[in-house]
Amino acid sequence: MFESVGSVSRFAAYSARGLTDVRTWLPAVTTQARLLGVDSLPIGAFIALFTGIVLALLASYTFKDVAVPLYLVGTLVEKTITMELAAVLTGLALAGRVGASIAAELGTMRVTEQIDALETLAYDPYAYLVVPRVIAGVIMFPVVVAAAMLVGVTAGWMASIFLLDLSSAQFVKGLRIFFDPFDVRYGIVKSASFGLAVTLLGCRSGMRTSGGAQGVGRAATEAVVQGAVMILVLDAFWAVIWLLGREK
Amino acid sequence: MKRTSNDFIVGLAVILTAVAIVAATLWVQQADLGQRRSRHEARFRDVGNAQVGSAVVIRGVQSGRIESIELAEGGWVHMRLRLDEATDLPRDPVVLLSSASLMGEWQATVTTREALPRNPDVHRQIAEAEGEPGILPGASVPDIAQLTAVAGGIAGDMASLAERFRIVFDSAAAIELRGSIANVAQLSAELERTIRRQSRNLDTISRDVSGGMDELRSAAEAFRRVASRVDSSTAAGEIAAISQNLTRSAAQLEVTSARVQELATRMHTTQANLDRLLARSDSVMGKVNTGSGSLGLLLNDPSLYRRTDSLMLALQHLVADVRANPRKYVNLRIF
Repeated sequence: MFESVGSVSRFAAYSARGLTDVRTWLPAVTTQARLLGVDSLPIGAFIALFTGIVLALLASYTFKDVAVPLYLVGTLVEKTITMELAAVLTGLALAGRVGASIAAELGTMRVTEQIDALETLAYDPYAYLVVPRVIAGVIMFPVVVAAAMLVGVTAGWMASIFLLDLSSAQFVKGLRIFFDPFDVRYGIVKSASFGLAVTLLGCRSGMRTSGGAQGVGRAATEAVVQGAVMILVLDAFWAVIWLLGREK
Repeated sequence: MKRTSNDFIVGLAVILTAVAIVAATLWVQQADLGQRRSRHEARFRDVGNAQVGSAVVIRGVQSGRIESIELAEGGWVHMRLRLDEATDLPRDPVVLLSSASLMGEWQATVTTREALPRNPDVHRQIAEAEGEPGILPGASVPDIAQLTAVAGGIAGDMASLAERFRIVFDSAAAIELRGSIANVAQLSAELERTIRRQSRNLDTISRDVSGGMDELRSAAEAFRRVASRVDSSTAAGEIAAISQNLTRSAAQLEVTSARVQELATRMHTTQANLDRLLARSDSVMGKVNTGSGSLGLLLNDPSLYRRTDSLMLALQHLVADVRANPRKYVNLRIF
C-alpha cells in the first residue's frame, strides 16, 4: 500500500513537472477534451435521465406512507442529483469509459515501445501524453456532471408531472425551498477531483503496462477498479471535509 | 482542421453547459439580476430559525427575501428585508417571523398590527421593538418544534395523571362515585324544584311590583292633577278661603276632641264597674267550679242532676196526669 501511494505520488510529481511544458501539452488538450468529455455527454445524460426518474418515483413512494408533503419530491431530487448522484454515477461511468480507454491506449503505446520512442526523441511523455488527458479530465468531468445535473433534475421534474400526482408548481416549490447554490458548487468541485483521479490513475496504469496484450488488459482493468475506488474515497473525503465543516 | 473542429466542439460544450447550469441555478435561486428592490429594516429580540434568503411574504404573496441578519446593540437583532420595488408595505406594518411549513423553514410576514395573532407574547415583543424611527417592529412566534415539545410535555403530564387516576379509581371508589352521582342527581332535582318555586314567587313578586308600579303611576297622575288644581287654585286666590275653612274645622275638631275625651272618661268608669262585675262573676264561677253552693253542687254533682232530672220527669207525668184526670186530684162536692 505504501509502495502504491509512493508510486502514485511520484507519477503525480512527474505530471506536475510536465505542466511546465505548455507548448507540448496544450495542442492536445482539446482533442482529449472531446474524446473524454464531449463524447461522454450522452452516457452521462443517459444515466442522469433514468436516475432522475427513479429518484422521483422512489421519493413519492417513500413519502406516501409518512406525513411528508409530496412537494418534497423536488427537494429530494435536487439535493440527491446535484450533490451526489450526478457526480458519483457519472464519475463511475467515466471511470469505466475514460479510465479504461486511457489505460488501454497508453498501455498499447508502452508495450509497442512508442513511449520509449518519444523519450528517445527527447519528448517528455508526461507532458505529451499524461498532462493533456489529466487537464481534459479535470475540465470536462465537471461539464459532463453539470449536464447530468440538468438532465437528472429535469427528468425528475417531468416524471413528477407525468407519472406522479404532483403539479409542476409543487415540484418547483420543493426544488426551491431548500436550494442552495452550494449544492451545485459541491457537485462540480467534487466531479473535478473525480476527473483528476480517473485520468491520473488511468495514465499511470497505462504508462506502467508490461507484458503485451495481456498487460494492456490488466492495465485497463486496474485503471477502472482504481478509478472507481478512488471516486468513492474522494466522495467520502469531500463529504467529511466540506459538509461536516460547513456552517449554515 | 480536425483540431479546430475539436476546439469548437469542446468550447461549445463547455460554454453551453456552463451557461445552462448557471442559468438554472439563478432560476432556482430566484435571483434578481438588475431588478430594482426596496429595502426595509426590522428589529427583533430573537429571529428563531429565520435565515438570510428566507422568503418575505405580504398578504400571502412572496414579495422578497431576507437580505441580512445582524446582531445589534441593546440585545437586538437587526434584519434587512429586500422587497420588490413595486411592493407597498401595509399600513402600520410589523414583521412576524414564523415557520413556513412543518419542515422547519421560516418566513418573514409583513402585516398590519391589527392582523397580528392573539398571542400576548407576540404583542409584547412588538411593543418592545417599537420606538426606533425607520425600523419596523418585529416578533417571532414559537417554532413548531417548541410547540410540539410543549405538547409533548402536556401529553406526558396527562399520561402520569391518567396513571394516578387509574391507581386511585378502584372498585370501591367507583361505588362511591356512583353514590355521589346519584346524590348529585337527587340534589339537582331538588334544586330544580326549588328554582321552579322561586321562579313562581319571583313571578308573583314581579306582578306585585308591576301592580305597585301601576298604582304609583296612578298616584303620580293624581298628584299631578292635585298639583295642577293647586296651581289653578293659587292662581284664583282660593287658598285663603280654604285656610279659613281649615281653621274652623280645626276648632270644631277641638270641640269634638273634648267630647271624645269626656266620653273616654265615662268609658273608664264603665270599665271599672265592668271589672268589678267580672271579678264577682269570676268569684261566683270559681265557687261553681269548686262545687260549693247549690249551683255548684248542681253542676258538679251528677247524682243531684239525675235526681233533679227524674224529679222533673215525675213532675211532668204528674202535670200530665192532672190534666188528664183532674177529678182524681180535685174532688169538688157541693153537696
